[in-house]
Amino acid sequence: MTNEGEALRVIFTEFYYWVTVVLMFLIHVGFCMYEVGASRYKHHQHTLMKNTMLIPLVTVTWFLFGWWIYWAFPTGPGLAPSIMTESTALVTGGGFGGNDLANPTNAFMAINLNDHLMGVFWAAFLLFSWTAASIVSGAVIERITTFAFGVLAIAIGSVFWSIDAAWGWHFDGWMLKLLGYHDAYASGVIHAIAGGFALGVLIVLGPRIGKFSSSGEPRNIGPRNPWLVTVGLFLIYTGFWGFYAACNVPIYDLGPEYGMEGVTYWTATNIYLTPTTLSGITMNFLMSLSGGLLAGYVIAKGDPFWTYSSGLAGIICASAGNDLYHPIQALVIGMIGVVIAYKLHYWVERKFKIDDAVGAVAVHGYAGFVGLVICGFVLNGYPSSGYGVGEMFDGSTYATINPLGQFIGAIVMFVILGLIPGYIIAKVLNGMGKLRIPREVEIAGLDYEMMESAKEDEKAVSSATR
Amino acid sequence: MATVTDWITHLTTDTNADKDGIQVGGSIYPGAGSSELLLVLLLIAIWIGWHVITNRSENNELSNLSRKRHGANDHKSNITDW
Repeated sequence: MTNEGEALRVIFTEFYYWVTVVLMFLIHVGFCMYEVGASRYKHHQHTLMKNTMLIPLVTVTWFLFGWWIYWAFPTGPGLAPSIMTESTALVTGGGFGGNDLANPTNAFMAINLNDHLMGVFWAAFLLFSWTAASIVSGAVIERITTFAFGVLAIAIGSVFWSIDAAWGWHFDGWMLKLLGYHDAYASGVIHAIAGGFALGVLIVLGPRIGKFSSSGEPRNIGPRNPWLVTVGLFLIYTGFWGFYAACNVPIYDLGPEYGMEGVTYWTATNIYLTPTTLSGITMNFLMSLSGGLLAGYVIAKGDPFWTYSSGLAGIICASAGNDLYHPIQALVIGMIGVVIAYKLHYWVERKFKIDDAVGAVAVHGYAGFVGLVICGFVLNGYPSSGYGVGEMFDGSTYATINPLGQFIGAIVMFVILGLIPGYIIAKVLNGMGKLRIPREVEIAGLDYEMMESAKEDEKAVSSATR
Repeated sequence: MATVTDWITHLTTDTNADKDGIQVGGSIYPGAGSSELLLVLLLIAIWIGWHVITNRSENNELSNLSRKRHGANDHKSNITDW
């Protein structure tokens, strides 16, 4: 770069996304702590490793094809015309098809002195991928095989969420154009899809042994270590700051983007290039967190596990429109989402005998779904994206935000890209006998041999020191 | 294999300086322009190999443990105190 101002803007943007990646790492730390805290002693180490190993599995596949899917399929299966032209530099074609820039053999998929942004964008989206897979991980603890979970993690983390981001986030996404879909901080794009996927897997996987009595009454298998759960959820809250920031573009000149001749307007934008401020979304984040905590404390009668989870559910529910809501709107929406998610969790548990060990389907799936629907009403009539404000590339216009579009969008996220693929893949794995650990192992504990070996080590060391 | 042997030459690599200004040679990793496909194939092999190996070891571990038929509380005698 030879222009100082441009260099500052680009390197600031590079550093900004890099910081979001570091912050989002805490989400995964939190999920690991949370899951181990929620599992029973005899399953701790396998539970930890299952969640940890999704990091390399999703990362490798995100490099090979996940990132490419995001750039390759925004128009869906022929649902909307593409606005991409060669002038956008997102050229269809190349050795790997779709968008050649995200082809893993492309020169930009490595250190490249002509490009400062591909790597940090790739990494920010990858951290979203880990989150999606980690949401599923918590729901299935103590009875899924590591192999099956690895396959499922790759499916949600590097395939299905990437498709939904292409459809609902990408500037060429058909859901933006046709439905007016708006999901600024991923109520649906991450949370509803991951919750739906987890539900699809749980239907096939079945409950933990002893979860339901012979008459079908659910029993509570409470967290083994509430303190680990607490710290884990606090870390997830903390990582969510990075998540929110990563969904923004930190500095962008909207004048040319909106076709306003001669106008320069530098601002932060959301992922759809409509203006917002980091300052404003910080208020909304905290108010929706507070709404979730307030409602969760009341509805769960002070139960810490649900109160903490409700804080998260509050944020998730308000996330679709937190770029535009008033902070008090964000708080109330967070409260509504928590009440619905909590009630639905127990209704589904009793009615369908679904054992969601950490309430992931409720906190992420139901709260995300409800958040999308509410957004359609509260933001009805707003431009869904910056591409509908002026003319973009081919002059196409985009639908505005509306209740029906958001509802259909929620169905696409939760059911079509979440629940159905999760169910089908779990069915296939189950048919191969690879989904669930043997009953005897579940009773004995996945860590039995590790613990036995550690006990023998302890005895040996003890006898040697006599 | 070395893509860069002299940074000054590399950073001023330029075929059209009058028109475009000084251009920076982009890729700097070893084997740039010739090794990418092989590296991707290597990664695919590592990825698939990992699944095959861990699947086999998990199968063995689960079948060994299930044969022993431990009770639900047997693990408690293995809790260490150190």
